[in-house]
Amino acid sequence: MELQLGLALPTRNMVKGFDLNNHGLDQLKEMGGLEAWNKAAGCFADKDCVKSKRSFEQAFGNFTEECRTKPLLLWSGQPNEEEDHKDQKKATFSTTDENDAEEDDQVVGWPPIKTWRKKIFQQQQQPRVGRAENNRVAENENGRSIYVKVKMEGVAITRKIDIKLYQSYQSLTNSLITMFAKDKKCDEDDYILTYQDKEGDWLIAGDIPW
Amino acid sequence: MQKEMAYSFPDEVLKHVFTFIQSDEDRNAVSLVCKSWYEIERWCRRKVFIGNCYAVSPRMVIRRFPEVRSIELKGKPHFADFNLVPDGWGGYVLQWIAEMAGAYPWLGEIRLKRMVVTDESLELIAKSFKNFKVLVLFSCEGFSTDGLAAIAASCKNLRELDLRESEVDDLSGHWLAHFPETCTSLVSLNISCLGSDEVSFSALERLVDRCPNLRSLQLNRGVTLDKIANILRRAPQLVDFGTGNYAAELQPDVFSNLAGAFSSCKELKSLSGFWDVVPAYLPALYSICPRLTSLNLSYATIQSPDLIKLVSHCPRLQRLLVLDYVEDSGLEELASSCKDLQELRVFPSDPFGAEPNVSLTEQGLVAVSLGCPKLQSVLYFCRRMSNAALVTIAQNCPNLTCFRLCIIEPKTADYLTLEPLDAGFGAIVEHCKDLRRLSLSGLLTDHVFEYIGTYGKKLEMLSVAFAGDSDLGLHHVLSGCESLRKLEIRDCPFGDKALLANAAKLETMRSLWMSSCAVSFGACKLLGQKMPKLNVEVIDETEPPDSRPESYPVDKLYIYRSVAGPRFDMPPFVWSMDEAVKILH
Repeated sequence: MELQLGLALPTRNMVKGFDLNNHGLDQLKEMGGLEAWNKAAGCFADKDCVKSKRSFEQAFGNFTEECRTKPLLLWSGQPNEEEDHKDQKKATFSTTDENDAEEDDQVVGWPPIKTWRKKIFQQQQQPRVGRAENNRVAENENGRSIYVKVKMEGVAITRKIDIKLYQSYQSLTNSLITMFAKDKKCDEDDYILTYQDKEGDWLIAGDIPW
Repeated sequence: MQKEMAYSFPDEVLKHVFTFIQSDEDRNAVSLVCKSWYEIERWCRRKVFIGNCYAVSPRMVIRRFPEVRSIELKGKPHFADFNLVPDGWGGYVLQWIAEMAGAYPWLGEIRLKRMVVTDESLELIAKSFKNFKVLVLFSCEGFSTDGLAAIAASCKNLRELDLRESEVDDLSGHWLAHFPETCTSLVSLNISCLGSDEVSFSALERLVDRCPNLRSLQLNRGVTLDKIANILRRAPQLVDFGTGNYAAELQPDVFSNLAGAFSSCKELKSLSGFWDVVPAYLPALYSICPRLTSLNLSYATIQSPDLIKLVSHCPRLQRLLVLDYVEDSGLEELASSCKDLQELRVFPSDPFGAEPNVSLTEQGLVAVSLGCPKLQSVLYFCRRMSNAALVTIAQNCPNLTCFRLCIIEPKTADYLTLEPLDAGFGAIVEHCKDLRRLSLSGLLTDHVFEYIGTYGKKLEMLSVAFAGDSDLGLHHVLSGCESLRKLEIRDCPFGDKALLANAAKLETMRSLWMSSCAVSFGACKLLGQKMPKLNVEVIDETEPPDSRPESYPVDKLYIYRSVAGPRFDMPPFVWSMDEAVKILH
């Protein structure tokens, strides 16, 4: 299988489209728009595909009428190499999917946050411990803050707070009520603060001193 | 007769006239008028901006502009900020310093962004320029406190030392003490990037004491809250202040001391820092809030109620940087309190979390667009968006010049209609006729690029990720965006065709970055061969690109125009597609 990309003379039966720089979008749309482009992408392997050759000529512009078709790139591909190439092409676009399947489900450089900002987040938060119905306590390495996930029954959003900012169960409860009050009307007396200790048992807050 | 008179102005007169022409664009235009104007202009150009340090060589700059006093250089591509450019890629400043040391003895200002600066470079600066005044290292790396000590010790008239967002190796905390007692000229000092141990506080205090012109001071995280008052009392003339740590146990005397110190700063307009905030100390700021025009709370993990209280005291706020703890409710308050707001940046507090941890949606941004008619610049991280919201924002804010939206999950559709967000972003480019910078996200087809190519005539920088269907998308942008200077693309199905068909366009741009796209090695080689004024560089850390078939897509591609030819400092994982270089290989 030969791959040829030629800089060609314009031939008589030239298709109007792919004169990209001059005729703009209309030509491309005439050709059927996106599908035509996708088909054309595959015509690197098709010697008869005049369209792509035409586009290169437009791009480089400085070729005279005497210019002959010159293969710029020749490739004798083995079938399996071609397959590998296709697979690799698929892999290129499915980065997210592949990464989702891995343990570390983060795409490199996404979301686009500067490295030093990410470091600050990591310093301020403990490793995620998965979904929790109620509080779960885990200490931060440098002991500066203790971040805790809090979920209120009936509210979709899990919030994170730094319990070091509070001096007592009461002030913590008050603050949590204020925070969740936006999402759900709540009366102070209706709600009980519970937490999960290291053994995984759910305990009512308040029995042990702050 | 009259024609002759026009050309009989002595050079000194023209030179004097040219000193009033400051902008680079105007200067460049002046130099094109005629040969004699070119000559006069080049001898009196004092300030040079080089947006890509590899676009030109130091020697070429020196040859054309022999009397430069101020230089600004940028190195790595923007996506280096997000770890997409491997270490060792380049952007070394040493050769520039070395050549300028000989040619520009009166060089007074060096501003660098995303460059590798070594201690050797800093020591060379300290030794070579007797009138050195301004050093700005924005997002740079490669140097340590030893290099800083050399600058401090030697630069007798240093006015500005700004290390924002740079990575500094901590070797000794006492470099600040190297500023001689005779140094009283500091106007701006930004050491916010340094770690806790890298600053000797007593040396800092003494320095602040003896610099009466200090207007801008950004402390680092290691400076504790109780020390802020000491600093402020020594520098009540500060206009721009960055706190260090803003957390401590609440103590009435510390609080009142702090509040008093802030209130004595009558010129203070801009605040930043606020690492580790204890909300109870925020009211200490209330006395200066009415004058504040800029507030950077983007490291402060304070919740919406406290943020609302603070923001409601700042009616003159023009610029706010904040974490998404502000929530929609906080942004609604912002919209009603801060009618002068021009710039808003909302950063994610939990960017890698699977579920939202805060109640921040597109509604917050819509509220701000409605309430703040002067809004020009937006950076917004969120988890959902709709075309309707984007259309509303576009209609409310036709003066937007910079719109960067990051919907955290790639390819997220309009949450109301499940359609792509093409129409929404289309409305942005259509209504915001002065839009210069745009970052896209969410589910997007080739149609969005059609809108961008049609309406984005003033667009200079475009960032694209996980978008588009085919080369048609890229073609729309390259053929339509007349003002395009920088284009950066990742994870999009753009291949050879649009790139090769628009090769000439690339010479009108500063640079193009494409990673995880579908551009083949063969196409890169073709571009490199046919476009001598472009440097076409393929980045691949796993294996040489020519060990695979030519139709194989390259991992990363960086194309930039250059009059200096291919660079000589490429690491092993960067391949130049220039023909001459290939022969040497």
